[in-house]
Amino acid sequence: MITVQHLTKTFVSSDGKQLQVLKDVNCHIDKGEVISIIGPSGTGKSTFLRTLNLLEFPTSGEIIVNGKNILSKNYPLNKLREKMGMVFQSFNLFEHLSVLDNVTLAPMKLHGLSRLQAEKEGIEYLRKVGLAEKLSAMPSQLSGGQKQRVAIARTLAMHPDIILFDEPTSALDPTMVGEVQGVIQSLAQEKMTMLIVTHEMKFAREVSSRIFFMYNGGIYEDGTPEQIFGNPQKTETRNFVHLIRKLIFDIENKDFDFYDMTSQIKQFCIRYAMPERMNPITHVVEEMLMLLSKYENPIHIEITYSELDYSSMIVFVHKGETISPLERNDADELSVLIIRGMSKEIQTQQTADGVQLTFFME
Amino acid sequence: MNTIIKEQNGELIAIFDGRLDTAAAVQTEKDLAPLANCAGKNIVLDCNALDYISSSGLRLFLTILKNAKVQGSKVFIAGMNNDIRNVFSMTGFTQLFEFR
Repeated sequence: MITVQHLTKTFVSSDGKQLQVLKDVNCHIDKGEVISIIGPSGTGKSTFLRTLNLLEFPTSGEIIVNGKNILSKNYPLNKLREKMGMVFQSFNLFEHLSVLDNVTLAPMKLHGLSRLQAEKEGIEYLRKVGLAEKLSAMPSQLSGGQKQRVAIARTLAMHPDIILFDEPTSALDPTMVGEVQGVIQSLAQEKMTMLIVTHEMKFAREVSSRIFFMYNGGIYEDGTPEQIFGNPQKTETRNFVHLIRKLIFDIENKDFDFYDMTSQIKQFCIRYAMPERMNPITHVVEEMLMLLSKYENPIHIEITYSELDYSSMIVFVHKGETISPLERNDADELSVLIIRGMSKEIQTQQTADGVQLTFFME
Repeated sequence: MNTIIKEQNGELIAIFDGRLDTAAAVQTEKDLAPLANCAGKNIVLDCNALDYISSSGLRLFLTILKNAKVQGSKVFIAGMNNDIRNVFSMTGFTQLFEFR
C-alpha cells in the first residue's frame, strides 16, 4: 500500500541553520495494518507522518502509494489527501460550523455529494463515534474528547484508505483519553489502515499490529507490540519502553571528583523516588572504584533506573581489560564482600570496550 | 564527616557524624589518632549519627580493634543504622565487635 524509501527531511531556520529531522526512513505499510509510531520527543515522528500526505515536503527519498510515487510532479495532491485522512492533536474543527456541517463539508465540496446524501452518511459516521445526538451542536459546546471524535468522523466521511493520527489524545484531559482511544480501537477491529503517533504506550501495545520505534530521525526498530514492548532487540528501544533513566560517569584518571559523583548519585536517587537505594548503589560504585584504583584504564559507569518496573542496575566497563576485578587474586576481600552483598545478581561479559560487569540491585 | 573523641567514665568515646567513605577516611584516620594510646581503657565507637561506612571505614575500625586488643582494651560499637548493620553483617564484622 505505502512504501517509503530513504526519506529525509531537513528544515532550514531563518538564520540559515540546517536541522535534519528525518535522516533515512524506510518502511512498508500494508492494507489493514495498525501501526503505532513511538519514540522520544523531537525524533521526527510527527514530521514523518506529515511527509506521508505532503503537509511537509520531503527533502529526498520516495513515497510510493499504491504503486505511484507521490513525489512526482504530476501526482494529484488533492486525491492523495482525500485517501489519506489525518487527525490532528488540536482537532482543527471549523468553529463556525455545526458538528454535522463539519462532517459534511468535504464530501459535498470534494466528492460532489448532495447535502441530503452527505448528511445521511455524516449522521452514520457521527453515530459510529458516539456523537449522533450532538449533530446540531457547535464545536465550542463540546468537550475535547468529543471534538476529537468529530474530527475522526469528519475524516471517515471522506472514505480514506488510511488515517494518520498525530498524537490524537495529547491535548485531552486524562478523563477523555479513553473515549477517543475507544473509537480508534473500534476502527482497528474493522481493519482500517492507521498510522498513529502516540505517547500512550499501553494504548499502542493494545491497538497496534506493528510498532515503529523512531529514534534519531529514523525507524530504529520495527516489530510487533510483543517484540517491541516484551523483547526489544536494541538498546535505545529497551531504554525507551522500560522508561529507563540513566546517570553516566566516565572516569579517565584518578583525579576525578568523588564528592561530586556521590552528590549526583544522591540527587539521582531522590529525583526518582528511591532514596533507600542511595547507599547500596554508592557502596557498589565506591567499592568497585577501590578495586579498580590500582589500574590506569578508563572506567565507564552507568546507573540506571526503570520507572516501569522500578528496577535499578549499575553497569561498569573497565576499558581495555579482560578480567573482572572481582575475580583477581589480589582483589580486596572487604570490597568484594560488600559488592556481592549489595547486589542481587552480578553478570560479567566481555565487550569490545573491555570487561563489563552488571550489578542488579535489590 | 566529623569525628569527635572524648573521655567519659574511664572510656574513650569516638563519635562519628556523616559518611565515612573513601574520601573521608584519610581525615578520619587522623582524627582517631588519640585512640592509639588507649592503655587498657575501653573504646566506644558511637555510630548513632554515622550514615554510611565503606570498606575504607571498616579498615579504620579494624585497626582500632587490633590495637586495642594488644593494649588489653575492648572495643564496643554503639548505635548503627540498617545500612551499616548490613555492611557489618555481610563482611563478618558483626562477629569481631561487641555491641552496646
